[in-house]
Amino acid sequence: MKTPYRILTLIFILIAGLPASGQKLPANYGNIPDELVAYDRYMKAYKYHFLEPMKFYGAGREKLPPTNLTEVRIGFLGPLEGSIIQDLGKQMLQGSILAIEEANKKGGYKGTPFKLMIHNDVGLWGAAANEVVKMDDEGVWAWLGTIDDINSHVGIRATLKLEIPNVNTGDPDPTFTETNIPWVVRTIPDDRQSSYVLVDQIFNKDKHNRVAVIRANNRYGRVGTLHFNRSATRIGFPIIIEERFGDGETDFTAQIERVKKTSPDAILVWGNAKESALILKQLRELGMNQPVYGSDRMVNEIFLKTAGDLAEGIITTCQYNPESNDPKFRAFKENYTKRFGQDPDVFAAHAYDGMNVIIEAIKKAGLNRALIRDVLTDLKTFQGYQGVTGPIVFDGSWNNIRPIYLAKVSNGKFHFSPAPKWEKENVIYKKARMAYQ
Amino acid sequence: MKNLHRYIVAIFVVAIIAAAAVLIYRKPAGQTATARHSVTSSGKYYHNSSDIYPGSSSGVIAEAKGMPVYGNWKNFTTKDGLPSDKAYAVRIDGDRVLVGTHDGLAVYEKGKWRTYTTKDGLAHNGIVSIDVDQLTGDVWIGTLGGLNRWSAGKFETFNQFNSGMPNDLVYNVFCYGKDIWVATGGGAGHYNTQTKQWEIFTEMNAPMHEPWTYALSAGDGKVWIAAWGGGVIEYNTETKHFRDYVDPDGFMEIDLQPDDGVVHDITTATSYCDSILWVSTYFGMSRYDGKNWKGYFDHDSGLASNFINFLRAEGPVVFVCSDNGLSSFDGKTWVTYKKNDNDENGKAIITNGSEKKEIPLSPSIAHNFIIGVDASDDYLWVATSKGVARGERIH
Repeated sequence: MKTPYRILTLIFILIAGLPASGQKLPANYGNIPDELVAYDRYMKAYKYHFLEPMKFYGAGREKLPPTNLTEVRIGFLGPLEGSIIQDLGKQMLQGSILAIEEANKKGGYKGTPFKLMIHNDVGLWGAAANEVVKMDDEGVWAWLGTIDDINSHVGIRATLKLEIPNVNTGDPDPTFTETNIPWVVRTIPDDRQSSYVLVDQIFNKDKHNRVAVIRANNRYGRVGTLHFNRSATRIGFPIIIEERFGDGETDFTAQIERVKKTSPDAILVWGNAKESALILKQLRELGMNQPVYGSDRMVNEIFLKTAGDLAEGIITTCQYNPESNDPKFRAFKENYTKRFGQDPDVFAAHAYDGMNVIIEAIKKAGLNRALIRDVLTDLKTFQGYQGVTGPIVFDGSWNNIRPIYLAKVSNGKFHFSPAPKWEKENVIYKKARMAYQ
Repeated sequence: MKNLHRYIVAIFVVAIIAAAAVLIYRKPAGQTATARHSVTSSGKYYHNSSDIYPGSSSGVIAEAKGMPVYGNWKNFTTKDGLPSDKAYAVRIDGDRVLVGTHDGLAVYEKGKWRTYTTKDGLAHNGIVSIDVDQLTGDVWIGTLGGLNRWSAGKFETFNQFNSGMPNDLVYNVFCYGKDIWVATGGGAGHYNTQTKQWEIFTEMNAPMHEPWTYALSAGDGKVWIAAWGGGVIEYNTETKHFRDYVDPDGFMEIDLQPDDGVVHDITTATSYCDSILWVSTYFGMSRYDGKNWKGYFDHDSGLASNFINFLRAEGPVVFVCSDNGLSSFDGKTWVTYKKNDNDENGKAIITNGSEKKEIPLSPSIAHNFIIGVDASDDYLWVATSKGVARGERIH
């Protein structure tokens, strides 16, 4: 080949190799293991969402801060009364209060104290929406909450309309940040992460084939198990039965009898601590001694007390390490216990971190909601932020995708270890496997 | 070896040239694109700012084909009498225009604005939706704290305490025959103005996963509810039956195929006109003719942005309120209005298939973050994040 032609060829190759202006697909959204990317084995999707963070093009950044404030208000929305998870809400509130009190001891916002505007998310139908409107009327600069999936979703639609930054520290519903609302960030890892870890543990590591699911018949149970069920199916082990139970239910005999008929070799329970413990007890009473796995809400004293010795060997996930020896976490735990007379749980610890994130964002951006939003979502200011629960690693939807933990009960206590990464060698596509065979 | 060295040098030089070319080509639209794209295929510029009607150039009209084109934009803010620059909704009611803002209801009549607030009887100052009952002339107002009927000069409030309202945050209100439909934070429902009874639809009695709803529209005996994460819920008012339309791929993080159904389950509005159902989402827009779905995204059409706050169809044309511009579309041609970042001017972007033209407009719409829209024969009113804009139809 003559030299000019070679050069022309090189030019052509070079230009052809330049990044195309079309859509690129960088790392998988949400830590999705390659083999679990939806439809990817068969075809590429026309559009991949959440790869780039949403921008906010609206007005508001030009608004000047008020000059006559006597307090800097931050909203709180949580289950505080009339809810089956009000114990969790109380912990979330206490974690928030501790962060506010510590910030005020350090001078608040330029000498003006922070004040928590507390709202209960339980009440009239769709109460969360009304409460967020009240927060707007109160003039909060941002708000933290909540835990229940439905209330969280209802709340963030109002926050989008009213343009108030929201930091969620307690709702693990994967769809929460998949609403594409550029006013919402979540600092607690979601159930998508838990599902991938459990699928890997149950099918790849522990080699189970026939898994039954018993889940709460609510959004927490339905959406929480969604990615577990899908992922199990994608690697060749569709769950063999799914049974549901209602909030506050105490007799699970009917569901367990149906599960028993399918002869599973492991069982996944997805629900609140008390019901999960009762299900475990009744499984054993009915002669089912298969390994039991569970959702992160099992990591709770109520579960350990109710299940007693039967809790031994139970494996769940946890979004952080409550046994961490990190000095920051130990100090938080000590201060929290001293202040409130109880150990912090996952909701307290994440609320403490989330409220500190809000406080820092306000200090950095000033009293302007749009500017507070900007620093919360810029993927710089809080990317890698080290809280007491660990780092914040936001993806393009501002969901914290940091590694989570496996929790196993041993000698009456949960013990925590970093969840192993999904190993490529275990890709199931190498060989077709079906649980039904 | 000597030749190899030459090749490496050549590659290096070419790479620099190519990179420079790419950088120039990719300059932000606000810097060079306007000048580049405002040249039409015939090589002419449209200097609309010097026209009597900015944007009235015959060239603009020719490019837009059958689409209505709006120019001579007049923008209104608090300086002109609005109670707030943040406008959520706009509705044309005969000779007057009703605007819902964050701080009250503004009514434009005979060239002047008048504001109504809770002091006048409104349930809340945050007005997010407005519709007019064509049978009675009553104005129905969805607020952040309840529903108002404005009739004979008086405001009547409906809320969760005094009526069968599903929730006090009324995202959308739509008058359809004798019924007043609402989409709220706690479900959808309708108020029968004759029997004075409410009927509520939530996940308990409709094919919704959850109660939240965001918008609705109706026509030909059907109501279409934008159910946020539940796609579109269709309700047949005669048979009382429901059916739902969701994105068939079942995954939030992708759209597998654009034309297999609604493009995403996070729906934000529906609008039905001329037997076409338009559906907006925060991920693109869909069009349904009763048989086939068609999806539109900002990378494959003239849509201003995939994040769509609201849409309204008038005849064959749908007006799409996005977070980064106002688009209009008749199924073939797009006309998208965008304001420049640093001045009051902007442009109309006309897209026909793969062909795209940009025409400067002066002045332009008030702001690119569009929240509400309404059109009459002669005017287009737009509610934005920073004021209200009125465009005159010039074609």
